[in-house]
Amino acid sequence: MTELLQQLVDGFGRGGIYALIALGIAVIFGVMHLVNFAHGELITVSAYAAYGLFVAGLDWWIIAPAIVLVAGLTSVAIEFVAFRWVRGAPDFTMLMTSFGVHFLVQAAFVMYVSANFRQFPRPGWIFQTWKLGGISLEVFDLLVILLTLLTLGITYWVLQRTMFGMSLRAAAEDFDAARLMGIRSDRIIRGAFALSGLLAGVAAVFWLMRSGQAGPTAGLSPMLKGVLAALIGGLGSLTGAVMGGVILGLAEVLLISRLPESLVGLTDGIVFLLIALLFVFRPQGLVTVRRAERV
Amino acid sequence: MPRRVVDRLVLPLAGSLTTYLVLVGGGIVYATVGNSASDGLVTQMLINAVVVLGMQIYIGNTGVLSFGHIGFGAIAGYAFAIFAISPERKAEQIPDAPFGLAAVDLTPFQSSMVAGLIAVVVAFVIGLGLARSGARSGAVAATVITLALLFVVHEVARNWIDLTRGGKTGLSFSPLGGVTLQGRGWIYLALFLALLSARLFKETSIGRLAQAAREDDLAARSMGIHPALQQMVALLLSVFVVSIGATLRVFELGSINPRLFFFKYTLLTLTMLIVGGRNSVTGCLVGVVIITTGSELTRYLAGPSVDLPFLNWLLRSGLTDVFLGASMLGFMIFRPDGVLGDWEPDHWMARRSVGKFTDQPLEHSPVGGLRPEGLLRATGVVVDFGGFRALNGVDLTASSNEVVGLIGPNGAGKTTLLNTITSLVTPSSGSIHLDENSLDGLPSHLVARAGVVRTFQNLRLFPALSVQENIEVARLAAAGRVVGCSQPDVEFVIRASGLSELRHRRAGELDYGNARRLELARAAAAAPRFLLLDEPTSGMGDLESEQMIHRIRDIAGLVQAGVVVVDHDLNFITGICDRVYVLDQGKVIAEGTPDEVSQNPVVQAAYLGGPIDSST
Repeated sequence: MTELLQQLVDGFGRGGIYALIALGIAVIFGVMHLVNFAHGELITVSAYAAYGLFVAGLDWWIIAPAIVLVAGLTSVAIEFVAFRWVRGAPDFTMLMTSFGVHFLVQAAFVMYVSANFRQFPRPGWIFQTWKLGGISLEVFDLLVILLTLLTLGITYWVLQRTMFGMSLRAAAEDFDAARLMGIRSDRIIRGAFALSGLLAGVAAVFWLMRSGQAGPTAGLSPMLKGVLAALIGGLGSLTGAVMGGVILGLAEVLLISRLPESLVGLTDGIVFLLIALLFVFRPQGLVTVRRAERV
Repeated sequence: MPRRVVDRLVLPLAGSLTTYLVLVGGGIVYATVGNSASDGLVTQMLINAVVVLGMQIYIGNTGVLSFGHIGFGAIAGYAFAIFAISPERKAEQIPDAPFGLAAVDLTPFQSSMVAGLIAVVVAFVIGLGLARSGARSGAVAATVITLALLFVVHEVARNWIDLTRGGKTGLSFSPLGGVTLQGRGWIYLALFLALLSARLFKETSIGRLAQAAREDDLAARSMGIHPALQQMVALLLSVFVVSIGATLRVFELGSINPRLFFFKYTLLTLTMLIVGGRNSVTGCLVGVVIITTGSELTRYLAGPSVDLPFLNWLLRSGLTDVFLGASMLGFMIFRPDGVLGDWEPDHWMARRSVGKFTDQPLEHSPVGGLRPEGLLRATGVVVDFGGFRALNGVDLTASSNEVVGLIGPNGAGKTTLLNTITSLVTPSSGSIHLDENSLDGLPSHLVARAGVVRTFQNLRLFPALSVQENIEVARLAAAGRVVGCSQPDVEFVIRASGLSELRHRRAGELDYGNARRLELARAAAAAPRFLLLDEPTSGMGDLESEQMIHRIRDIAGLVQAGVVVVDHDLNFITGICDRVYVLDQGKVIAEGTPDEVSQNPVVQAAYLGGPIDSST
């Protein structure tokens, strides 16, 4: 029982990070119908920013907000350089464009920094645990859960209560109709990318505090997890994306603790396999968003 | 020789042979003038060409973006290595191989065939999964499933030490490593066969139907095409070709490790495919040449032999990968269809030879046999969209020897009724029958196969296929299912709809009027029992609508199909229909001959907003 509780906290901690990434992917999908396989590059860029700031001698308290900002700006920049040109293009083109960005950013880091991972110190407190009765909980997990909830709360407020949020939701429902109602598409798309970048930035802070390294492929794993979570959540749905993230996090933790020793190295492979099976049987994800095509 | 054979077999063969000779010839010349490095480069380029041709067969024809093909390549590569490496070498590297594989000793040729078959078997299972997930052009679920395959194969290759010797060292043929494949004979043969398979597959019926579904999945389904079968065949053929390329790559290198067939190679081959034009077989070879040349050039520029101080920021190691990423991105942004689009050299030959084959007169009557009268019935159809009731108990009957009109103001539910009959919308209650057979719950491609084919309000052609191909595809989709008469000749349908001159044009290039005519012709080529036309004259002038009346009557008479037509235009409806239903707010408010209906005060009220006399 206590073990399960510990795993749940661990799972929610992981899942929270995935949820933030997935939500960003879902927001972009909503306004552009693009599945952004380049979303992980925001975390790669953040990782290098963190590394750079460390070398400059700064502390996590300054680095964390800086990372969030960097991720937001990078997201807008990527939209400006690449995605702006393929708005409304066929799905195949958009998919390939996002893979193109993904590969290009990776290659640029290999070229200008190094193919090797660079280490930077992790904050000392992240491994501290709290003993509560028979269970010991990682402070970090609790912090992640708390801050994720806070971030989601703020995002929810932005989406529900601000003019920008309402236009964004309107655009996600029906982009053309929203445009005809006078919502400026440029601004909405740029705003969506900024929002999704900031969310990825928050996720990056947590991710990097734990991994403590920067490398050209640093964003690959979080990107895959985020895309999968968003897909589990049904892509178009923002709530679905958050749920997908939590489900994925919990599934991973529960799977790792139950796999025999010899298969633990295959965890990612097995998770991927299970998700592939999910898409075979429920290609629209678990949370189905009905989108009627007009004919 | 019949024009069809020339267009679909002789010219593609001639074109492929030319491409082949140019590519191989150019390679040989370069290998001869260059040094030993250029010899190896040509070998690798030709092997990559085999792999990319294999990928083209699936990705090009179906439009499904697969990241898994290199994963299949990994399976074939490992299978090949395990079968072909001599038992002595295996005893050193993988003594504990399962299934007694350590003792197996096959020739390289046998091994590559077995490896190809193993990959094909895996592909069959994956293909079933893809079909279940509803793979279609640009489908994300399909991309994720194939990506998962790439990852899972990679993980297995790294972790199943007994079989693969793990990730660090991999398997090798000779103790010293080094090249094992002597000469390029096998590569030339494999490339030739790969090129022919890819080029001819594009012209086969299976290939054409897959392309139609790639162009417009919904339109294909409502013509009776269910692309799962075609996609499966494309996948199996494609995986076999990729596998042969992969085994050549392993044999040429003399070793295999998990990194050999992973992201990097996926990026390389996908970029080659996309840069040249994924829908063109010749195009993907052009892509192979461009990317090979570009990669070598960047490698040379970034190497030690070039020293340009002011370009030091750019010319450094890693430039090749930046070049690949930038090519992929650049082409997607500026030229998403690649250098060649879907052009093949034989298209050019075909155009040059158009004059030489004069139209043969059509001797026999276009359609033989008299079809029995058919009856299409909708009873008590109710459709709800959320809280909105779009149709509220609609009854409609149409016979196959009449033209029935559906009119009514916007939002009356006309298109929804057509969508319900063709199973694009599921009714809350009510049923649809064709003769005695219920169509309830059938998926839309089966409704089409049963004999109900429709057109769309917002035109859904297969834009990248030519006019003639659009019609051929429809005829193919219905082949063998037409009851009571012979199928109309493609040639006849083309002429009857006045599209003779435009037959080689792409459907996407047609002007609006011709596109409408083509959609009608395409629907008729399936020889349906009933043609459902959704606003065939929208956006047309009076004269054009007038002509459309005759065209619809002619073409429906040709295949002896009943017509149900939705339109706003009262003149058109009165001109063409035998009977008219008037819909308003989801209900039939009147029914009768055009004259009766236009005299009906309720109809006048609905249309003109006049007073309703409660006594009528």
